[in-house]
Amino acid sequence: MRVAAWALGGMAALGWPLVAPRYFVFLATLVAVNAVVAIGLNLLSGYTNQLSFGHAGFLAIGAYTAALLTLRAPALPVPLTLLAAGLVTALVGLALGIPCLRLDGLYLAMATLAFGFVVTEAITNLDWLTRGNDGLRVPLAHLGPWALDTDRSRYYLALAVAAAMILAALNVAATRTGRAFLAIRASEIAAQASGINAAAYKTVAFVLSAFYTGVAGGLFAFVVGFLSPDAFDVFLSVDFLVMIILGGLGSVWGGVAGAAIVTVLNDSLAGFQAYRPLIFGAIMIACMLFAPGGLAAMTRRQS
Amino acid sequence: MSGPALIHVVVSGLATGCIYALVALSLVIVYNATRTVNFAQGEMLMVSAFVAWSAQHTAGLPLLAAVACGVAAGGLLAFLVERAIVRRALSATHWDVLIITLGLSLALRAAAGIVWTNEELPFPALFSNQPVAIGPVRVAPVSLGVIGASLILMLALVALFRATRFGRAMRAVAQNQTAARLMGISVERVYSGAWVLAAVVGGVAGVLIAPVTFLSTKMGLIAINGFTAAVLGGFGSLPGAVAGGMLLGVIENLAPLYLPTGIRYSVPFLVMIAILVARPRGLFGSLERRKV
Repeated sequence: MRVAAWALGGMAALGWPLVAPRYFVFLATLVAVNAVVAIGLNLLSGYTNQLSFGHAGFLAIGAYTAALLTLRAPALPVPLTLLAAGLVTALVGLALGIPCLRLDGLYLAMATLAFGFVVTEAITNLDWLTRGNDGLRVPLAHLGPWALDTDRSRYYLALAVAAAMILAALNVAATRTGRAFLAIRASEIAAQASGINAAAYKTVAFVLSAFYTGVAGGLFAFVVGFLSPDAFDVFLSVDFLVMIILGGLGSVWGGVAGAAIVTVLNDSLAGFQAYRPLIFGAIMIACMLFAPGGLAAMTRRQS
Repeated sequence: MSGPALIHVVVSGLATGCIYALVALSLVIVYNATRTVNFAQGEMLMVSAFVAWSAQHTAGLPLLAAVACGVAAGGLLAFLVERAIVRRALSATHWDVLIITLGLSLALRAAAGIVWTNEELPFPALFSNQPVAIGPVRVAPVSLGVIGASLILMLALVALFRATRFGRAMRAVAQNQTAARLMGISVERVYSGAWVLAAVVGGVAGVLIAPVTFLSTKMGLIAINGFTAAVLGGFGSLPGAVAGGMLLGVIENLAPLYLPTGIRYSVPFLVMIAILVARPRGLFGSLERRKV
């Protein structure tokens, strides 16, 4: 049963660009990118209960790292570029995570919110490097002799990366580290009393989350092809939060499902920009009041 | 920079600071009663300002009556939101209420854009903007008016907290909720009252800042400055919120004189990160210990 579901899901994902129109291939690519961010945010917020309002900032750092690296070294194979984007972002995550260890809940949320603002301000003001508000055109990604110049090729890149990241996250969740994360979420003080080094694991969660979001940022740069600081505002961070709240805090597949729903919803509401935040706000309130565990908890209850 | 010019900058900084202080006070009032922060506080004061604008523009009320209408509407909105939505989630973790108020802020902002407009509207000035000379110093009446109005409101709050039964109940709940309940205080009524009081204080801040920054759906972002001010003074302390607001206002007005001008809009964020990293309990706050 389980194997059949996996095979079916895998075949649907692989076959999608062969049957779907071009625009929907692009949309599916965005879903994959957002799924990686949602998993990353979930590792931090869902698993260790550290609320972040600054993941758009991490995404921006990953995206600009990948874009600038490709501009300087066009021949670099794309997996290395994405890895570099992830590592640079992880370093920033480490630099932010260590001082943030002293903060929890509300204070952490505000510190990450401020971080997000500072990143976009920095991108705007470092215009010799990032071209500021004029925006930065991202060159094509290369994989050996091939240039990834079609929506289909970029879809398969995003799909491969997302699949690897999902597997890695499922593994992390099932190990000692994942259990430590969940123990910290249940009660940090009780976790510490049980011999879990809460400070170390919270830092790990921060770095891991930043790495995921940085890799997603690199993908985002290649998929969208054009970067400007206003694309990474605080509302994008809030969108990511909506994804994991709707999908389920502390669930890898919940994050993926939330990312898919929010991305598609975002796209179909493009003509009703004024109503979009109203709907997202209502989703957040309704989830918290009626379904605190999101979609993941609902399916769990039924089975 | 000459002395009188510096005084001018400091006075206008204090005026901005008073508004931050009022927003910080409204955040702290809700926090002290319910131990959660209302992320929608900024959007609620935006609604107050929009209602005041409508009362003057559409209904043709005199400005002061319109302002009173706006503030009252903010209080009513807070009462309804607290009873209908927030009260249901208060028993759950703090996270839940944070996310609910975040969703509320998104929804309120969008709703205001739909009901009114997403454009910036000019808001009628309560005080003149033309600087007048007091000795060698030139100050704008608007600065003095904002400072005066804020100080009167703050004194009224001091009187409320010290001299009335409800104020004492709020302080008791802030200190120890269980003990307050055992003393016969209706904690639920304090929740309601705190939300309404916070919305009123915030609403006054809204109508004071609207003539300066224009009326727009984005004005709710001032809550971030208010939060920074409250953290600066030690979150949970009312005098700290006032001091933090004033300090932030003056820093923000002085910073562009000594630093590149582009940095002005990052000042509150940089101050917030600095204070959270160096001294999370704020300049005047004391360390709080929690148990499992």
